[in-house]
Amino acid sequence: MSLWVDKHRPRSLDQLHYHHALSARLKALAASGDFPHMLFYGPSGAGKKTRIAGTLLELFGKGVEKLKIDQRVFLTPTKRKLDVNIVQSNFHIEITPSEVGNYDRVVIQEILKEIAQTQQVDLSAKQKFKLVVIHEADSLTRDAQAALRRTMEKYMTNMRLILCANSTSKLIAPIRSRCLLMRVAAPSEEEMRAVLDYVGKREGFAIPDDTARLIAQDANGNVRKALLVLEALKMQNTDLSSSALSIAKPDWETYCHKVADMIIQEQSPARVMEVRAKLYELLSHCIPPSVVIKTIAEKVVDQVDDALKADIMHWAAIYEARMRVGNKKIFHLEAWVVKVMSLYKHFFLGFDMDAGFDDF
Amino acid sequence: MCTLDTRLWVDRYGPTNEDDLAVHKRKVQDVRHWLSEAFGNDPSGKLKKYRRILVLTGPAGTAKTATVRMLSDELGFDVLEWRNTMDERFSRSEGDWDGVEYEGLAEKFRTFLTRASTCRPIFVSQTQSSQTQSTQGSRTSQIPPSSSSSSTSASSSRRRVILLEDLPNILHPATQASFHLALDDFVATPDGGVSPLIIIISDAGLRGEDAEEGGARWRSRSKEAIDMRNVLPPHLHNSPYVTQISFNPIAPTYMRTALKSMLDRHFSSPSAVGTRPTKDVLELIVESSNGDIRSAINALQFACTADHGTHKPGAKGSKKGKGPSATVMLEAVTRREQSLALFHLLGKIMYNKRKGDPSGQSSSAKDVRREKEIDAGLKDPPPLPPHYKHHERRASRVDIETLYADTPIDASLLSLYIHQNYTQYCDTLDECEALMDSLSWVDSSGGESWHQANPYQFHLVALGTMHALPNPVPRRNQKSFKPAFFETLRQQHEAEDGVRDVQLWLQRQLGSWPVSSWGSRDVVLGSGSLWRAAERAGAFAEPIPSTHRRFSQLEFAHVRGGLVEIAQEGEAVPDEATPQRVDRPLAGADDSVTGNFLSDDDIEEW
Repeated sequence: MSLWVDKHRPRSLDQLHYHHALSARLKALAASGDFPHMLFYGPSGAGKKTRIAGTLLELFGKGVEKLKIDQRVFLTPTKRKLDVNIVQSNFHIEITPSEVGNYDRVVIQEILKEIAQTQQVDLSAKQKFKLVVIHEADSLTRDAQAALRRTMEKYMTNMRLILCANSTSKLIAPIRSRCLLMRVAAPSEEEMRAVLDYVGKREGFAIPDDTARLIAQDANGNVRKALLVLEALKMQNTDLSSSALSIAKPDWETYCHKVADMIIQEQSPARVMEVRAKLYELLSHCIPPSVVIKTIAEKVVDQVDDALKADIMHWAAIYEARMRVGNKKIFHLEAWVVKVMSLYKHFFLGFDMDAGFDDF
Repeated sequence: MCTLDTRLWVDRYGPTNEDDLAVHKRKVQDVRHWLSEAFGNDPSGKLKKYRRILVLTGPAGTAKTATVRMLSDELGFDVLEWRNTMDERFSRSEGDWDGVEYEGLAEKFRTFLTRASTCRPIFVSQTQSSQTQSTQGSRTSQIPPSSSSSSTSASSSRRRVILLEDLPNILHPATQASFHLALDDFVATPDGGVSPLIIIISDAGLRGEDAEEGGARWRSRSKEAIDMRNVLPPHLHNSPYVTQISFNPIAPTYMRTALKSMLDRHFSSPSAVGTRPTKDVLELIVESSNGDIRSAINALQFACTADHGTHKPGAKGSKKGKGPSATVMLEAVTRREQSLALFHLLGKIMYNKRKGDPSGQSSSAKDVRREKEIDAGLKDPPPLPPHYKHHERRASRVDIETLYADTPIDASLLSLYIHQNYTQYCDTLDECEALMDSLSWVDSSGGESWHQANPYQFHLVALGTMHALPNPVPRRNQKSFKPAFFETLRQQHEAEDGVRDVQLWLQRQLGSWPVSSWGSRDVVLGSGSLWRAAERAGAFAEPIPSTHRRFSQLEFAHVRGGLVEIAQEGEAVPDEATPQRVDRPLAGADDSVTGNFLSDDDIEEW
C-alpha cells in the first residue's frame, strides 16, 4: 500500500483534475511525432511530475511503466567514484543530478552520451528517440548546464530531454531557449478541493467542507502537501469534522519561526551564537538553506516596522544569492541574521534618539 | 680508499643499544616488557595470549621503528615486515571494478598475516650478513623486497614479530574492511599464534583541508587521516589484545646527547668527511627539529657536508665566520613546517593588535620593547578621504604575509575557526555584522567551481576579520573552540542517508510508475507528521524506515553537544592533533551504534 499521494495519482493525461488545456496540448504534442525538448516549471506540488509521467505514457505506451532501478557508478576526473540511483525503462531514463552536488556535470555528460549513442532497438517502439528526464534541473551547476546545452543540439536525433524545475530563473538562457516551456501553475483552492474530494471518495469517506477548505488553505497550492496532511489527519482521527482539527506545521517550519522570534527578541553577539546553534540544527536536518532563510525572513518581516521590511528582504536576497555560489551555507545564513539584528537595533536606537530630541 | 658509505646517517648510525636511543627509558621499558610478555617470559606466563597487537603511535621521527629494531637485537627476535607492492594493484584493465578471480593486495595481506602468525619459517633465506644490516638500518632497511612482498631475515630458531609499518591504503573503505577482517582473524588465532604483531602509526598532523559541503559527500565520508581509530577495527580499540604505546616528540636533552654521540662516532672513524659543526649549529638543529630526530640527523649530516664544500677543514677563520651563515643555511634547510600552532594563529588574528596599542599588564619589559620595535617599523597608512573615514584603522602589527607563510591551515578552515569564535571578541553587533559580511563575501567570491577559487582567500579572510574587529580587543578570557561545522556536516550526511532510505521506501511502495515523484526536497519538507502518524498507526505493510527521524524531527529545545576547545600549549602538530582525537571516539562510536541511537529515540516517541 502506498501513500494516497502516490496511490491516487492520475496515471494518464486524461485523468488529470485540472489544467485541462495543458493536458490537451501535451497530448497533441505527443501524437504529432515532432516532440521538442521540454522544460516543466512551476511550484512544488503543482503536478509537474504527474504531467511528465502522463506525457511519457502518451508517447511510449504502457512500456514506460516497466521500471528498473539501477545504481550506477561514475568516475570523476579526480578518480573519485560517485554512485547514483537511476530509474529507467526501455524508453526513458530519470536522473536527479543535483544529488551528486558539484559533480553533476560528469553524470549528465556520461548519461546523455550513453543514451544518445544507443539507437532505439525496439522496432515496435512508438518513437525513435529516448527520453531523459532531469529532475531538479534548477539546482544544476552552471558547468552542468553549459554541458547540457551542447548535448541538447548534438544528440537531438536520438534523444529528447524533459527538464523539471521550480523556476526558470536559475537556468541559463541558452537552455531555456532550447526547450518548450511548460508552466504548471499551482491549482486554485477549488481545484484542490476537487482533488481532495476525489481522493476521499476513492478511500471511502467524505471530507467535510470546512476541513477541505482548511487543508487547501494550509497547503497553499501544493497538492502533495494537501494530500499528505489529509492522510495524516485521517490516520490520527477517524472523525474529520473541523472543530477538533488543527493542522500541525512541520517541525522545521515551527523551528524557523522560533528562530525568527529569537532574532526579534534580542540583538547581541551572545544571541548570534544561540541563533547559530539553531541554524546548525536546521542544516543538520537537511532543511535546504534557501528554505531556511526564506521562512525566517518571512516571519521576521511579519513582526517588524514597515520601514525595515524592504531592507530585510533585500539582504535576504543578497545572502541567498551568495549562498548559491559559496560553500559554507552557515556563513551566509548567519551574516544575514547579524545584518537583520543590526538593522533592527539601529532602527530602534534611531527611534530613541529622535524621542530624546523631542524632549528638548 | 674503500667505497664511500653513501647511506644517510640515519641508517648508518642508527641506535644499536638502549643508550643510543633517544627515547625515554620508560617507553623503551614498556615496549620491552610487552615483547617479553608476548614471548611468554612473564612470571605467570598467562599474559602471552593477550599480547597480540602492539600499536606504537607518535609523530614522525620519534624513534618508534628504531626502538623495535634495537629491541630485536637485544631480545633476539626477527622482524618480519609487510610491504605494499605497487606493481600489481591494477593488473587488470581499470574499468573492471569486479575483478573477482584476481588476488588483490588486500587478500595478499590477509594471507601474509595468517601465514606469518601461524607458521614457523622453514627456509632460511637470507645470509647472516644481510640480517645484521637489516637490524641496523631503520626504515630503509637494505633488503630488497622479495617477490612475496615480505622480507624475512630469519634463522629458523629465532622468535619473530610481525612489523606493520607500510599500511595498506586504509582510507579506501573496501581495503579498510578487509584489513580489519585480517586483523580480526589475527587476533582470533588461538594461542598457537607464534608471532605478535606490531603496528606503527605515525600521526600525520592535521593539515587543514576541510571537507566542503555542497554535495561532496563522497569526500567527507571517508576519514581524512590515518590514525589508530581507523587502522584498528572498532571493537579492537579497547580490546585486551591490543596495547597502545604512544611516543612523544623527542626531548631536546635526549636529542642533543644522541646527536653529540653520533658526531663522536662519525668523526672518530678515519674516513670521516666534513667538519664538526659548532655547538651553536647543533643547538639550532635541536631547536628547529620539533622533536623529530630523523629530520635532526639529516640536518646534521647536511650541516657537516655542506660546510665541507665551502671551507677547507682547519682553515683559519672558518670557525668564526660559520655562526651566522650556518644559521641562515640551516634556517633554509631545516625549516620544515615550523607552523604556528592554530591557537596562536587565531590569537594573532583575533586580538587584532595595531600600532600604538597599550601593552598588556602582564607583558614583560622585553615584550614591550619588542612591540615598540615592531611599531617603529610600521608605516602609517595614508589618510582616507572623509567619506571613507569609518574605514580608517591604525597600521596592524600582524604581518599578513608572514602569517600566511606560517599558517598550518588553509583559508577555508581558518574562516571556519574565525566564524566559530568571533562573537567573543566583538563588542557590538556592527562589528559582528562587518565580520560576518566579509566571511560571507570571501566564501562566495570567485565562482561556483574550484578553478575559479579566489587565490587570496586567506588574506581576505584575515584582513577582513581584523578590519571588522574592535581595537584593542577587550580581554575577557576568550576561549577558542573547534568549529561545530563538521559535526553538523556529519549529522547532515546521516540525515541525507535517512532521506534516501525514505525515498527508496516510497519508490518500493509505488511499484510501477514512470516518474519517481519524490525529490529529496519533497521528502524533507513534506509532512514529517505523516511519517510519524503512519508509524504509530502501523499503516504500511513495510514500515517506514525509522531513519526518517534524522531529518523530520526537530526539537527546538535541543541543546547541542559541548564544544571542543583548542589545546593551547606546546608546538604545532602533536598538540593540535589532541582535540581531534577527543572527538574521534564519538564519530567512531556513532558508526557502530546507529541502531542504538535510533531505538532510544523510538522509546521516547512511543
